[in-house]
Amino acid sequence: MVTGPKSSFGWVVHLSVVVFVALWMLPTVGLLVSSFRDKDQISVSGWWTALSTSSQNLVFRAPAGDGEEVVNGRYVLKGSVLDGASGQVSAFGFSSREPAAFAPGTVADLKDGVTLTVAGDGAFELSGPASFAEGRGQRIFYTAEVPPRFTLENYRNVLTASGLGRSFLNSMTVAIPSTVIPILIAAFAAYALAWMPFPGRSLMIAAVVGLLVVPLQMSLIPLLKIYNSVGQALGFDPKSYIGIWLAHTGFGLPLAIYLLRNYMAGLPREVMESARLDGATDFQIFTRIVLPLSFPALASFAIFQFLWTWNDLLVALVFLGPQDDKLVLTGRLVNLLGSRGGDWDILAASAFVSIAVPVLVFFAMQKFLVRGLLAGSVKGG
Amino acid sequence: MKSTLLATVCASALVSGAVCAQDLKFAPGEDARFNWASYEDYAAKYNLDGQTLTVFGPWRGEDQALVESMLAYFTAASGVTVKYSSSENYEQQIVIDTQAGSPPDIAVLPQPGLIADLASKGLLTPLGDETQGWLKDNYAAGDSWVSLGTYKGKDGAPALYAFPYKIDVKSLVWYVPENFEDAGYEVPQTMEELKALTEQIVADGGTPWCIGLGSGGATGWPATDWVEDMMLRTASPETYDKWVSNEIPFTDPAVVGAIDEFGWFARNDKFVDGGAAAVATTDFRDSPKGLFASPPKCYMHHQASFIPSFFPEGTKLGVDADFFYMPAYAGKDLGKPVLGAGTLAMITKDGEASRAFIEWLKTPIAHEVWMAQSGFLTPFKAANPEAYGNGALKKQGEILLNSTTFRFDGSDLMPGKIGAGAFWTGMVDYAGGKSAADVAAAVQAEWDAIK
Repeated sequence: MVTGPKSSFGWVVHLSVVVFVALWMLPTVGLLVSSFRDKDQISVSGWWTALSTSSQNLVFRAPAGDGEEVVNGRYVLKGSVLDGASGQVSAFGFSSREPAAFAPGTVADLKDGVTLTVAGDGAFELSGPASFAEGRGQRIFYTAEVPPRFTLENYRNVLTASGLGRSFLNSMTVAIPSTVIPILIAAFAAYALAWMPFPGRSLMIAAVVGLLVVPLQMSLIPLLKIYNSVGQALGFDPKSYIGIWLAHTGFGLPLAIYLLRNYMAGLPREVMESARLDGATDFQIFTRIVLPLSFPALASFAIFQFLWTWNDLLVALVFLGPQDDKLVLTGRLVNLLGSRGGDWDILAASAFVSIAVPVLVFFAMQKFLVRGLLAGSVKGG
Repeated sequence: MKSTLLATVCASALVSGAVCAQDLKFAPGEDARFNWASYEDYAAKYNLDGQTLTVFGPWRGEDQALVESMLAYFTAASGVTVKYSSSENYEQQIVIDTQAGSPPDIAVLPQPGLIADLASKGLLTPLGDETQGWLKDNYAAGDSWVSLGTYKGKDGAPALYAFPYKIDVKSLVWYVPENFEDAGYEVPQTMEELKALTEQIVADGGTPWCIGLGSGGATGWPATDWVEDMMLRTASPETYDKWVSNEIPFTDPAVVGAIDEFGWFARNDKFVDGGAAAVATTDFRDSPKGLFASPPKCYMHHQASFIPSFFPEGTKLGVDADFFYMPAYAGKDLGKPVLGAGTLAMITKDGEASRAFIEWLKTPIAHEVWMAQSGFLTPFKAANPEAYGNGALKKQGEILLNSTTFRFDGSDLMPGKIGAGAFWTGMVDYAGGKSAADVAAAVQAEWDAIK
């Protein structure tokens, strides 16, 4: 017992952290594995089955007469049921009633003198008195041990979709100003609400906190109505980038002001008072002292807002519209899913495509995020 | 002169990123299946160069490419630049846009219930008597189409607001012909035979049906199609109409009987792949894949004409998979009823180009260029059936034309709260074991609440 009770407790902590991280990551890992799987496989079997060799019942349709030869008066058609893929056939059959009736290498008698044999490596030989060119090609059922197989096809489909690059730029055009504008406004407002005494200040703070609970879905129609009438009066299209910047700014401001005010209110009073004694104006105090000190809070809000505007679909569709030239990335990816959805292959791959930018932003600024998350919750922290 | 026209249209289309007129899938004048005369006549009549038309519809992904290929002909013929768009929540989007006063010029929607709502708020423009007469004369079973597009306006007076365009047939049962051959089964011609076949498959050790009701927030809707199909096969079309408008309550014996007819198939563990408990949880898009498993997980699947897009890749219709008409009872004299759904085009912002677009939908060519590709059926008598792109479509077209009764999907006609809410959840409850009478009473209670 050299290590003592403290470090054995540390062990437990580490272990549970590992367990929780694994639990937390599991859905993402599953999605990642699925994104590399074949479209048909995704819907048939779970992603965990893709990681090891599995026994599968498959169907192969022999070509109708293509490549058949005449040997000793019989038509012979040769090929491989595995069609180039690797695997080991363990049983085969010719009827959907008995798909595994024959062991590899044995000869099965079909009707009308036709025989079929499938070898363990997948090579098949179909032989009969008449040409196979008529009809639709014999179905060969086989059971095979199939090694894991992965494909980049899903990513290719998503990345080469027409208009994706355009939508990427559109999303950037929406997200970046929609992050910068609310921060600019909120920083000024937060300083005023935290450090400039004026009548009705507490009421204003209460109003801002109250606005936090207004669901944005409720304001979509009235807001769009105002936009339309303003757009008509000034003679421009109300569904423009300026419109969506304003909308995102409005929806983001309550949280931004609340977060920044609480952070700024926690800054030491002495610093500001001594600056004021030295003759600094409010504006100077704000730009020279408060802003640099508030950087963690600004950065963390920037991450929040960027992620939200990047991932947003609803606000973009309402204020920018679904037109091809204005469609944001989320909208483009949703449209890829087709009218009835359910394309897991595209869904999984596009999830990782759209995640790329937020992940970059997060890692670039993550050290501020945790600090900023505590903003306002630890007084004087 | 024609080519310069196309070139200018194309140039302006390129600038705006819209459909380019050079993308015409079938060169005008070349294929005799198409009614090019109607195209040329239209082009001669309309010259709206420089105008723009925004069209908002439910088609995305591959369907979007199809509708845009049709719109390209409209652009080439009329000179109007078309901007087509869609979105996942198009039902909500169209409500937001029309109410806020920034609607598209043309909206295309599949839900008559929603259209009725828009019309009653005065957000749609009536299409006029001339279009009404045209529909009546030129669509097979024209009266039923006119009544489908007729809604009460803001003033309460009924008028034609929506133009039916693109129909889906729902009364289809999908199967794998070779699996039927292997087992020696025949395609049933009557409902009695279908039920006998179902029992036969079980006796042979197989599972007859794949039924999946899962569809995210819309879970339950495939069961409403079942019930509507059974309703048309056990009760008269007039009863069906009364049910849809709630003149007879949901608890009427005819309705409860139809629900139980569906239960005969879906609530028997031996009849359904995965057992009756799997019905409500299986996704409708994954459900048909059981047909193609080895050995087959099921032999039959009831679904509308769109379902082949969820078959495994490379499945050839007519060879690997086929369908038959969901048969009617021989013992009941109800003819050959067909359940369908479809989309309706309406003018949300009146204008020269919007009117021209509705006129365009009256030309055979507007139907034929989509027919020749995939997923499009039309009751338009002047559209050449030879233009259908594949045998399956042609067969569905025949089912549509041979039907003695055509009825629109009832859940789409009911108010949204019922047809896209209580009815769905009721069917999920029913699949979960609740009795048909309890389910019907719950749906009727919701219906009473919104009256």
